[in-house]
Amino acid sequence: MSETAVVALSGDADNFNPVVSNSATASDLQGNIYPMMFDVQFDEREGELTYGKGLVERWESANGGKDIVAHLRTDVRWEDGMLVTPKDIKFSFSLYGDPIVASPRRSYLESMIFTDNKFDVDKSVEIVDDSTMIFHFAKQYPLQLFHINLSPVPEHIYRNADRRTLRSNPANERPVGAGPFKLEEWVRQQQIILTRNGKCTLPYPAKLENVVFRVISEPTTRLTELKKGTVDVMRPVYPDDVEDIQENNPDIRLETLPPRNYEYIGWMNIDVDEYHKTGTVKPHPLFGDRRVRQALTYAVNRKEIMEHELGTFGELAVTDFSPIFRWAIKHDLIPYPYDPEKSRQLLRSAGWSDSNGDGILDKGGKDFEFTLHYNIGNKRREYVATVVQKELKSIGIKVNLQSVEPVVLFQNIEDKQYDAFIAGFSVGLAIDPAGRWGDISNPFNTVAFSNRRIGELLKLGLHVPTQRDAGPFWKEIQSILHQEQPCTFLYWIKDIVGINRRLKNTNINVLGVTDGMWNWTIGDPNSYMTY
Amino acid sequence: MLRYIIRRVMSAVPLLFGLLTFTFFIIRLAPGDPVSLYIQGDVDPMFAENLRNALGLNDPLPVQYVKWLKGMVTGELGMSFSKHAMVTDILAATIPNTLLLTAFALMFNFVIGIILGVITALRRGSATDHIVNVTSLFVYSMPEFWLGLMLILGVSLHLDLLPASGMHSAMARFLPPLDYLWDLIQHMILPVFVLGVASAAATGRYMRGSLLEVINQDYIRTARAKGLSELLVIGKHAMRNALIPIITLLGLSLPFLLGGAVIVETVFAWPGMGKLTVDAIFARDYPLIIACTLVSGVMVIVGNLMADILYAMVDPRIRYD
Repeated sequence: MSETAVVALSGDADNFNPVVSNSATASDLQGNIYPMMFDVQFDEREGELTYGKGLVERWESANGGKDIVAHLRTDVRWEDGMLVTPKDIKFSFSLYGDPIVASPRRSYLESMIFTDNKFDVDKSVEIVDDSTMIFHFAKQYPLQLFHINLSPVPEHIYRNADRRTLRSNPANERPVGAGPFKLEEWVRQQQIILTRNGKCTLPYPAKLENVVFRVISEPTTRLTELKKGTVDVMRPVYPDDVEDIQENNPDIRLETLPPRNYEYIGWMNIDVDEYHKTGTVKPHPLFGDRRVRQALTYAVNRKEIMEHELGTFGELAVTDFSPIFRWAIKHDLIPYPYDPEKSRQLLRSAGWSDSNGDGILDKGGKDFEFTLHYNIGNKRREYVATVVQKELKSIGIKVNLQSVEPVVLFQNIEDKQYDAFIAGFSVGLAIDPAGRWGDISNPFNTVAFSNRRIGELLKLGLHVPTQRDAGPFWKEIQSILHQEQPCTFLYWIKDIVGINRRLKNTNINVLGVTDGMWNWTIGDPNSYMTY
Repeated sequence: MLRYIIRRVMSAVPLLFGLLTFTFFIIRLAPGDPVSLYIQGDVDPMFAENLRNALGLNDPLPVQYVKWLKGMVTGELGMSFSKHAMVTDILAATIPNTLLLTAFALMFNFVIGIILGVITALRRGSATDHIVNVTSLFVYSMPEFWLGLMLILGVSLHLDLLPASGMHSAMARFLPPLDYLWDLIQHMILPVFVLGVASAAATGRYMRGSLLEVINQDYIRTARAKGLSELLVIGKHAMRNALIPIITLLGLSLPFLLGGAVIVETVFAWPGMGKLTVDAIFARDYPLIIACTLVSGVMVIVGNLMADILYAMVDPRIRYD
């Protein structure tokens, strides 16, 4: 027991096949079970991903930046003793790219070679010899390494699998990996036990013998287990509980995850009725005017909301470029202050006034009234909605509140059915704003915001040799977003992680709680063998 | 009796079929897309469409219904959308856990309920009667969710007497059999108590009323007049008749316990069907929702059947042939 760490999870894994799994739990654990093409780290000082040796020992760019030549290790073995070969990697890419498989990671291949609108694995992934592969891209692309860093699965296990039912293939429940841990036991909804894979060389075997992941969905129960010491790691600890833990639980240390999640108030930019009926794009009758959107941001006291809900564990959002990407952030953008008077001025300049004296602004005979939707059961968003309603009322805008079941809310947001809503967004580890601010038909462009210059900048930024080359384009996009306020960006959330002090060598960072889990030790790290 | 049981089981088949068909259409016509929860920031927008195709969600509703019917006839309940495993496998892993919890909660309910009912009936009007009645009302009114959390904080965290959650300790699988069993029992105490205590309070009230009604009957007076001991009068003559309504209650309690298990399993992280059902509904996991409905439906029918059979066993006047 002394060499077992226990991590509390809010939800179970869906399966352990990295091609089709979709749960956050599975993603976290797969990095410890499957081999990785690169040992990816996040340089927090610079704010960018770095790539170290994994299955790929060294690599170089070729063909004017369109190809990556990868030199692979030839001594890595799957748990069952078979060698990990380029064939495994190519086979895995064919799975990731097959629409029948419907991998959630298929977009990682979108910059490679497509024939007749289908991912062409033979043209994209070339096996030169047992230790060399070439990954062919359609164009020069700054995120090439990020996108080929997909976990391979063993071909000999999945070769004859029916791709239509790959999602429920029994092999997904008994993964054969090559990472520092292997799956010892998975009792659905109960717990997952990972045990040390002593033969692992990628990056090296784990120090702990076991790590148990227990599924405890109720937050109070989860926190109780942490306080009792029966769980070593749990997230998120809510800001309201921090003081109590700091005062009464000296065995627990608290760390924060750098922010990748933000919340926002979505203002629909286009007339959704017209869009759905005729497909034509016209400005939204209320929110189609930039001045109105700016006015709405000025009218909401975002700082007060953030401090009330997150204490010191939040950061005001200026745009949706996470503060973690230090090199790409336009630091001179100042968050909109709470300024109701400025808001009134902007609304006046946009033609909104209370012409009939009923306390509600109107224009062309239409009152400024809308319904704000948010997901039921989310106390933070309920609070935001109430504050927004009160603050907008003070400037003459009537807001009706409507809480909606999460599944329905998300569907309607993706389908662009609402005029206004409160939602959150989680940004990826590499900057790619195309989904959020590109084509308005994209489900992630939830507020249907379209800007010609942003369209140009996206094309420029995504076809440069290195990430850093895209910096000026990303900064210009931030300026436009700041000016246009397609939505009111509220705050970034820094998740709090509670860790029992007996657990050493954790590395809580942007990549997650279980990043570098092979280094974890219990008690004195010097008592462990080193590799 | 056997013919009666077979007839009841056979008549339950169309009832279950109707229930499942109704559920099939209700959940598909309800708003909410099973795929929408998977759409996150770095997911291919095509993913949703491909997944809908893969799961057969783009088929017209009648086609989906025919496919489902075919599956039902062949015993194929399909694949869970959210858990990516065969529904039958998921149920096989969770139903025993819920049955274990509810079976012990049912035992707790009736043993404690009957004891309390007898004590309060025999000491009607005494301080004990009043205290038990008020306490029962208080316990009955307490939300299970709140009671569960209070016990976790009090008994588990502050007193450190029992585990707070789960069915086993983290590495229990490596324990010797007896220690493993003791570990399970320790984990069961709080959830069984929370699940059974409110029902026990109600059962106690029923038992009290039923026993009071019986002990005022002439035949009890006759038994006493014959000089039988009070223990024999109550234990043999009064209890047999007083238990009849309680036994009916036994079968009818099963569905209520299953409903309560949803909350108790969530609070105590008990890996059972109750929690599974809630998760399935929120995820719009159609095959899993249908399967959970099937299991609940079967349990309601079995509960009712059990009540009727026990009724006949306790009361010799009842015959079902």
